[in-house]
Amino acid sequence: MNELVLTLGWLGIYAPMALGAAASAIGCSIAGMASIGAMTETDGGYGRFVGVSAFPSTMVIYGIVIMFTLNRDVTPENAGGLFGIGILSGIALMYCGIWQGRACAAAINATKEKPEIFGLALAPAAIIEGFGVFAFVFALVISAGIS
Amino acid sequence: MSNPDAYIALISSLPGSERLFVAKQPPLSRLRLDRRLSALTPKDARVLKVLEHALNWSDYDMGVTDAQAIARCKDAVREIPQPTLRALFTARMDLRTAVAALRLRKQGGRPSTETFGLGRWSRHIPANWADPGFGLETVMPWLKEAKQLLDADDPLGLERLLLSVSHKQLKRHAARHLFDFEAVAIYVLIWNIFDRWAQSNAQDAAKRFEKMAHQAMAGAVEIDFEGART
Repeated sequence: MNELVLTLGWLGIYAPMALGAAASAIGCSIAGMASIGAMTETDGGYGRFVGVSAFPSTMVIYGIVIMFTLNRDVTPENAGGLFGIGILSGIALMYCGIWQGRACAAAINATKEKPEIFGLALAPAAIIEGFGVFAFVFALVISAGIS
Repeated sequence: MSNPDAYIALISSLPGSERLFVAKQPPLSRLRLDRRLSALTPKDARVLKVLEHALNWSDYDMGVTDAQAIARCKDAVREIPQPTLRALFTARMDLRTAVAALRLRKQGGRPSTETFGLGRWSRHIPANWADPGFGLETVMPWLKEAKQLLDADDPLGLERLLLSVSHKQLKRHAARHLFDFEAVAIYVLIWNIFDRWAQSNAQDAAKRFEKMAHQAMAGAVEIDFEGART
């Protein structure tokens, strides 16, 4: 039984990193595909498209920081806490990354026609980034209570 | 429901359309559109072909009968798995059935059977034949204006109204589909509307040119060229 609990603890430590990496990979690929498509139709502003398509890469950075914060000796007493915080923050980061990629793709698609709305079109992606930051910050805050 | 991220690059590579009836041309040529559509999977390409084949008037022979057209549309519905595209197709068939009924009634005709056309209202329309809007004004609020345009012998105005209604239907569904196959199909159907409107203008211009040319030629025979008469 203890082995299972310890395994869950280790799973919780690495989950934010793994799920954050998956989120960034999927999100960046979604936004990247949109920027490639937009480049075939526009005559300039390619750098902006590529820059926007890199937005979801922040999720893996948050995941790495959470992983290092959770990283400690896993005991039967703290394994449950590590598992809960790690898995749930990882899932939150994954959703944020994927949907931020979609929001970025929509922004790229819109700004290829109307470059003047570039800033406004990024607002949804920025708001989703805010939710990712919430998951990140409060994972750090809560993790301080784990022995 | 299709994969929501299936055609991100394809959709992003398609130019947005200008406002209908303002744009003189579709946003890109059919050649370029077909080149972009080569990114579709064979299955999706087949569905799109079926959809366009059933909806485009240019794909129908002049001598096609009602039964043949209805059979083609029924076959098309069976081959379209996406609920949104089926709903769009059904809505377009409802529109065509209602307009065909208006035209038939204007010519003094009546449906030969209890059903007329295709879709939800195929039984409702013959049952309400005497009603000016077939009792469909609430579900098809444009029907009254269509009848007025038909009665006023304004085919271009009617064409404009019907394209506008179809365009609005497509735009309404487009808001729920960003990068999936439905979004691609809706883009192509909107492209077809733009193309049809552009062709309507071209055909109108050609007819006017032909009429003016006839008038000019009729006047030319009156001209007494020096030495032309014996």
